[in-house]
Amino acid sequence: MDFEPRYTAEQEAFRTEVQEWLRDNIPTGIEHPADSSDLTYEQYQLRRDLGRRLGDKGWLWPTAPEGYGGGGLTVDHSVVLEEEIDGYNLSLPPYYDSGGRLGGNSILVWGSEEQKQEFLPKIFKGEIRTWQLLTEPEAGSDLANAKASARRDGDDYVINGQKVYVGSAHGSDYMWTITCTDPEGERHHNLSWFMVPSDLPGISVFPMDLLSSAGESGAGSGVKNIVYFDNVRVPARNLIGGENEGWKVATTHLELEHGTGGKIGRNWIVDRIFDYCVTNNRRGEPLSKDPDVRERLIDIYIDAEIGRLFQLRNYWMRHSGANVTYEGPQASYFRKMSGLRIATGILDILGPAALTKDSQWGAGEGHIEAHQRAAIIALHPGGTTDIQKVIMSRRIGIGRQQRERAGALA
Amino acid sequence: MDLSLTEEQEMLKSAVRRFVDTEYPKETLLELAATGQSAPSEPWSKLAATGWLGIIIPTEYGGEGGSFTDAGVMFEELGRGPVPGPHISSAALGALAILEAGTEEQKRSLLPDIASGRRTVALAITEADYQWDESDVQAIASTDGDGYRISGTKVYVYDAAAATDLICAVRTENRQHVGLALVPADAPGVSVRKLEGFAWNLAEVRLDGAQIGPSGVLSGRAMPGASPFSGGWLALEQAVAAAIPLLCAYQVGGSQQVYEMSVDYSRTRIQFGTPIGRFQRVQDHIINLVNELDSARWTTYEALWKLDSEREAADSIHLAKTVSSAAYYNACNHAHEVHAGVGSTTEYGLTLHTTASRTLYQFLGDPKFHRRRLADALGL
Repeated sequence: MDFEPRYTAEQEAFRTEVQEWLRDNIPTGIEHPADSSDLTYEQYQLRRDLGRRLGDKGWLWPTAPEGYGGGGLTVDHSVVLEEEIDGYNLSLPPYYDSGGRLGGNSILVWGSEEQKQEFLPKIFKGEIRTWQLLTEPEAGSDLANAKASARRDGDDYVINGQKVYVGSAHGSDYMWTITCTDPEGERHHNLSWFMVPSDLPGISVFPMDLLSSAGESGAGSGVKNIVYFDNVRVPARNLIGGENEGWKVATTHLELEHGTGGKIGRNWIVDRIFDYCVTNNRRGEPLSKDPDVRERLIDIYIDAEIGRLFQLRNYWMRHSGANVTYEGPQASYFRKMSGLRIATGILDILGPAALTKDSQWGAGEGHIEAHQRAAIIALHPGGTTDIQKVIMSRRIGIGRQQRERAGALA
Repeated sequence: MDLSLTEEQEMLKSAVRRFVDTEYPKETLLELAATGQSAPSEPWSKLAATGWLGIIIPTEYGGEGGSFTDAGVMFEELGRGPVPGPHISSAALGALAILEAGTEEQKRSLLPDIASGRRTVALAITEADYQWDESDVQAIASTDGDGYRISGTKVYVYDAAAATDLICAVRTENRQHVGLALVPADAPGVSVRKLEGFAWNLAEVRLDGAQIGPSGVLSGRAMPGASPFSGGWLALEQAVAAAIPLLCAYQVGGSQQVYEMSVDYSRTRIQFGTPIGRFQRVQDHIINLVNELDSARWTTYEALWKLDSEREAADSIHLAKTVSSAAYYNACNHAHEVHAGVGSTTEYGLTLHTTASRTLYQFLGDPKFHRRRLADALGL
């Protein structure tokens, strides 16, 4: 076994190239607001500019196929890129692009050649930012109950309905959405996905008032919206995966959203609380010397390490072609539950200083206050903790001889 | 990065699994449960004959010269039984202690016998205060001619009743040093009394003036001219640190086994007209179980990898033991919730694991001990 990426001389040379390029191309003045809802339009545009520059290099989606505008790089190259950009507290892409990540992969698996040529280069080169639209007032955990309708009319589909908890601040170029194309049809056989240009007539977007959007720093969504579709005419060629074939597309989308992608990276909030406790004194001694604080820090550390290893395992499984079953929802479930435990630990350690972003009396420049709100809200996006457990049960085959298979990934 | 086992490790894994299935079927394990140990017994002789007891012993000392990960793979499979010791005590702890603390001559005379199973070793470290700490050691080595007499009471000694030799942590007469004495278990003045109850093969070892010669001291890197006991404790700590991930691998194997038992049972046990695994309450137990299992698995194998690649491993070792001890313990608890009454019957086999999980929870340090060490290792 080898728990670290191995770098060949060629990859180390690549790292040098990446370092030099990032030094020259990361715009000056990029800010990292504690709460991503504080990301200004100007800041968002700085990040999009960086995304387009990365996209030109093939580094925005480094492992996506070159033929569709991706980088076509190996996993090991991609790791180098992610590590280097992580050094700037940025990720790939450096802004919220859930529709690009999940929709892009779904199109790669289920789109026609023509659709791949049309949509993927725009995503992979950073020309567009895409939101995903799944949840409706009556279709939360039960996504198959989606009621937003798409009715065929000549060369178009006409979409009507409402989606909630959508996207981010500062708009999108495309909306990747699931609709019902046969209201009388059999469940799971009446759904269809569309890539919808966001500027079509009849689309309106209203921000929601939420405790938190559960995102982390600049790549978090910041804001969630309600989106209304009022007789929106979408060209039929934007239907992905076939009419009433939407559930199979959903399995790919949900597989990634449920955590099978994995990742390599630090836990920023854990680094922050450790650093805070070592460098801040209470009663004349570093906080980290207080026996109760040490107990809590070790709780936090253990949760963070297990979470890191689950993500690392999933990253490796995905890129090595290993047979994935319950590991995606397991990592997701663990991330959510441990995130909440970590927030409790931080509240125990810091008391009310964890709950205010006041520059004098709050801890951690607002990041800790934002994390306290995000940790509880993070339990539901991308599937509730209960849904993650339901999927795990099916994949493990608890109480059933036939184990459910994981969704196809590109 | 590659989190898969090598082809050789996969082969070793299936070979050990076949061996355990054949030589340690449930009936045998239940018979051995009465004593909590497998040596001496027929399957133990067969295990010794495979050479696996020498898995981490270098080839020059009659072992297989395997890596820590190789050994982890083997101990994981033994843990599935759970095959009772003294394999962890002898082939992991004992071998590593002699490798760390033995002279070249001691290694040549002792290690081939450990590899072949002719000699089995248990570590008698803890005493009444039970702390896995140097300060706990009060047994005394008093000078007697050119040798020593060992006196004291060691308690909660794992595998002692199955061992031919005991590596005892002892204090010098002037109380300044804690070192290691190798005492034959059948020497005059040594008595081993098994501790009955829920404990899995724990014993009291009384040392009443047991005699050893100068070659009975494992002196470690004691400075020339200094007491031969002055280097023993440090060597022992290093040996224990390296053995812990192997014990963790054994706990991973046990957790894996009770996980698979629970999934099987959830499919076949019918209540209210349906397999019980269709109830989400029951599913929750198994999901908690698999989360514990995987936490233990990946912290353990990362620690093994760090040992093999000679990275600084202290934090990973303390993490792995903290997580794996709790995981095996909790895995058994969850499995009991799934199995209910059936799980409580001895003949079903779950209680073998339940019993093992309790003793191993604290063996070589319980979670609270390793959490303290982890905080130190992290520089808190």
